[in-house]
Amino acid sequence: MLLIDISLTQPYNKSNLLRNILIGKNKRKDVEQTGDLGAKLTEELQVETTFRLFGMPIYESVVVTWIIMAVIVIACICLTRNLKVENPGKVQLFLESAYRAGYNFFYDILGENGKQYIGYLITVVLYIGFANIMGIFGFKSPTKDLNVTVALALMSIVLIEYSAFHHKGGKKFIKSFAEPIAIVAPINVLELVVRPLSLCMRLFGNVLGAFVIMELLKIICPVILPVPFCVYFDIFDGLIQAYVFVFLTSLFMKEGLE
Amino acid sequence: MIAAIGAGIAVFTGIGAGIGIGLATAKAVEAVARQPEADSKITKNLLLGCALAEATAIYGFVIGLLLIVM
Repeated sequence: MLLIDISLTQPYNKSNLLRNILIGKNKRKDVEQTGDLGAKLTEELQVETTFRLFGMPIYESVVVTWIIMAVIVIACICLTRNLKVENPGKVQLFLESAYRAGYNFFYDILGENGKQYIGYLITVVLYIGFANIMGIFGFKSPTKDLNVTVALALMSIVLIEYSAFHHKGGKKFIKSFAEPIAIVAPINVLELVVRPLSLCMRLFGNVLGAFVIMELLKIICPVILPVPFCVYFDIFDGLIQAYVFVFLTSLFMKEGLE
Repeated sequence: MIAAIGAGIAVFTGIGAGIGIGLATAKAVEAVARQPEADSKITKNLLLGCALAEATAIYGFVIGLLLIVM
């Protein structure tokens, strides 16, 4: 029995939002503008429900994530067809060198002990990279949703601690909290909270900050001015943040793997 | 109104991040000029340092955001 109750909430309406801000400018300055900006930011921070599946809300970020998954899976299927050991084609050579580059990058950081985690890290960098670029194609990028970045950061901290535990064993793992001297143990425990918090806030703040700046630029001059900024924020900054996220995760892992 | 002033003050964190990233980039340029063959390693470290320095500005932004939204 399927109980798919499709109740589309009102979609994100950009022109209406801009009009509100422009009208707000003509009114009295002090309270009105702050209120409008606050309302706009609240609207951006809210997680929109696209539809309900078995009474469970499916958020927009999840739907965009499905789209990213579909793109990556189809790309994987297309690229890995007809792999040959002898006389490899151009696609296969490109694929192999790209994979090697990613593998070597993480291998240099993690070393021999951490090579079983490289697959996960490459997957995360692919996902975040695609998620940040999604803004160009008109989708709302999933990393602008705080829930997604919190989930990614939690996965990272679990992986960091698991890899340290797996490598050192229980006794040494607990002992490692009292290194280099016992008095820093509270700081080491605090790092368990601070690291994922800083990871998730960095990604979320960058993506949302870029979005807010783009919206403000579109109000000032919607014609040519946003183009270089769009290239910077959507492509360059998005990829840099994906790189930074996995780079920091692997650096933290390396500490536990030594 | 008070929240807006608070949000404005929170954006001052950008000063520190700007100075930090500027110093890091200046030193990285010097290092590349001295040793052009170590370019890739320097760039990697520069990006990491910039990301960490930028984090303070991001915290300011998040706090300003929370002040306006809440």
